[in-house]
Amino acid sequence: MGWTLGDPESPSTIDVHGFVSQGYIKSTANDYLVDSSGGGSFEFSEAGLNFTVQPLDRLSIGMQLFAYNLGTSGNFTLRADWFYLDYRFRDWLGIRAGRVKLVYGLYNDISDIDAARTPILLPPSIYPLSNRDLLFGVQGGEVYGYARLGSLGGLEYRAVGGAIDIPLPSQIGQAVEASSVDIPYLVAGRLMWETPLDGLRVGGSVLALRLNEDVFFPGVPADAATESARATLYGAIGSIEYVAHDLQLAAEYAQTRNEARELAPTPTRAPTVVGSGGYALATYRVSRWFQPGAYYSFSYANRNLGSQSAPPAPQNDENVQDDLAGTLRFDVNNFWIVKLEGHYMHGTEALGGVPTAATNWGLFLIKTTGYF
Amino acid sequence: MSRSRANAAFSLLVFVLVFVYGAAVGTRVASGAEGFRVIVNLDNPMSSMDRRFLADVYLKKATRWPSDEAIRPVDLGPGSPARRTFSDEVLKRSVAAVKSYWQQKVFSGQGVPPPELDSDSEVVRFVLKNPGAVGYVSSSGNVAGVKIVAVR
Repeated sequence: MGWTLGDPESPSTIDVHGFVSQGYIKSTANDYLVDSSGGGSFEFSEAGLNFTVQPLDRLSIGMQLFAYNLGTSGNFTLRADWFYLDYRFRDWLGIRAGRVKLVYGLYNDISDIDAARTPILLPPSIYPLSNRDLLFGVQGGEVYGYARLGSLGGLEYRAVGGAIDIPLPSQIGQAVEASSVDIPYLVAGRLMWETPLDGLRVGGSVLALRLNEDVFFPGVPADAATESARATLYGAIGSIEYVAHDLQLAAEYAQTRNEARELAPTPTRAPTVVGSGGYALATYRVSRWFQPGAYYSFSYANRNLGSQSAPPAPQNDENVQDDLAGTLRFDVNNFWIVKLEGHYMHGTEALGGVPTAATNWGLFLIKTTGYF
Repeated sequence: MSRSRANAAFSLLVFVLVFVYGAAVGTRVASGAEGFRVIVNLDNPMSSMDRRFLADVYLKKATRWPSDEAIRPVDLGPGSPARRTFSDEVLKRSVAAVKSYWQQKVFSGQGVPPPELDSDSEVVRFVLKNPGAVGYVSSSGNVAGVKIVAVR
């Protein structure tokens, strides 16, 4: 896997890896992620190329260039997905500085890497693809480590902190334009206990961030044309995964709490939004070239049952998203994958709660990835 | 709503049971494959090694020997029978599952896999050349000049 530049038996080689993915999405109703209803859409592409070198015993340097297109997002703009200087003092203590992947749950840091998983779409209750610009990478640093606990297994821990610069999609001609969105700070961490049973790990992740947003309304009088809002988001996930030989089982449950307030033109505090969701996933590699998988995912946009100052959020089809998915992954050879995936969806939470959308709908995806 | 959720959960349960059965069958099929011997450089004082420590080494969770020397694991190619046995018995995952593990690490910037060499003799040469190296060869491989360590 990958290319090695230099003597492969020397520790100071440059490892080069890359991938190219092209997908197709078709839904029976509702546009999801892209214009997926009607004739479907091919606007579902990714490409990445990374370099890693270890110039010193404990020091490594790496960088991944990445571009993607997903409907109106990405537009093949080349960017640094991650880059870092990593110094590993001991197995139980390493530090990394640069742009690092956001560790949150079991799979957030591979959300944009098709080859690294079985499903085309990871369970959207925990890993919504619409968040890819928001929550994949952090400019800042990471502290990580792995501590062996003898007969009790081991502890793997990672903590990241920093800021996120969010590229805005093209909004020309839209009634509302987000003129700036940024996350000035974010902290997240994950602690996983690798139990004495081989392949079984259990743990949790936490996340806290501040989001600032300025929204511009074209054609509105100047004193009311701009709105500024600030949100503080907290999240927590409980995770369990079992990997043994060719079997993978995983389940996660998450809750988020979003406390938002408008700062201008009129300072207002919005009702707190409490979201929740989870999934259970299973995959099994039947042979070297064939691996089916399935998951059931559910999410609620708002479970806030109300208080004296705020009414309860409506608990209807616009607030929920059930997703039963099945995937067939074919590893054609060591460099090429083809996947087929079907979803039965109930609810419209993943569509932003569009009230007129069909509440029971299907989604079909095909994706092929070449990698080395 | 609750009925559709119950149906979905039942479907998933059936799927999981089928997978667990398949995993058990797959494990039985894997037994009886070619054996392997774990080797280190003659300068390495270790004569035996805990299996979980060896697994951590090959997954690069453990990167230092007790002497603080950097560990340099080396793999045989994915088609090697000894690699399949080593992967099943030490890492408790199939070769393909280990490849998937490294895909996650490689593309999220968390590390790169051990180098893969084509033959027992190349692995022995690598271990001879690198004091911190650890490798494995097929049980019939020539291991002159390196030390065999027991796996507990």
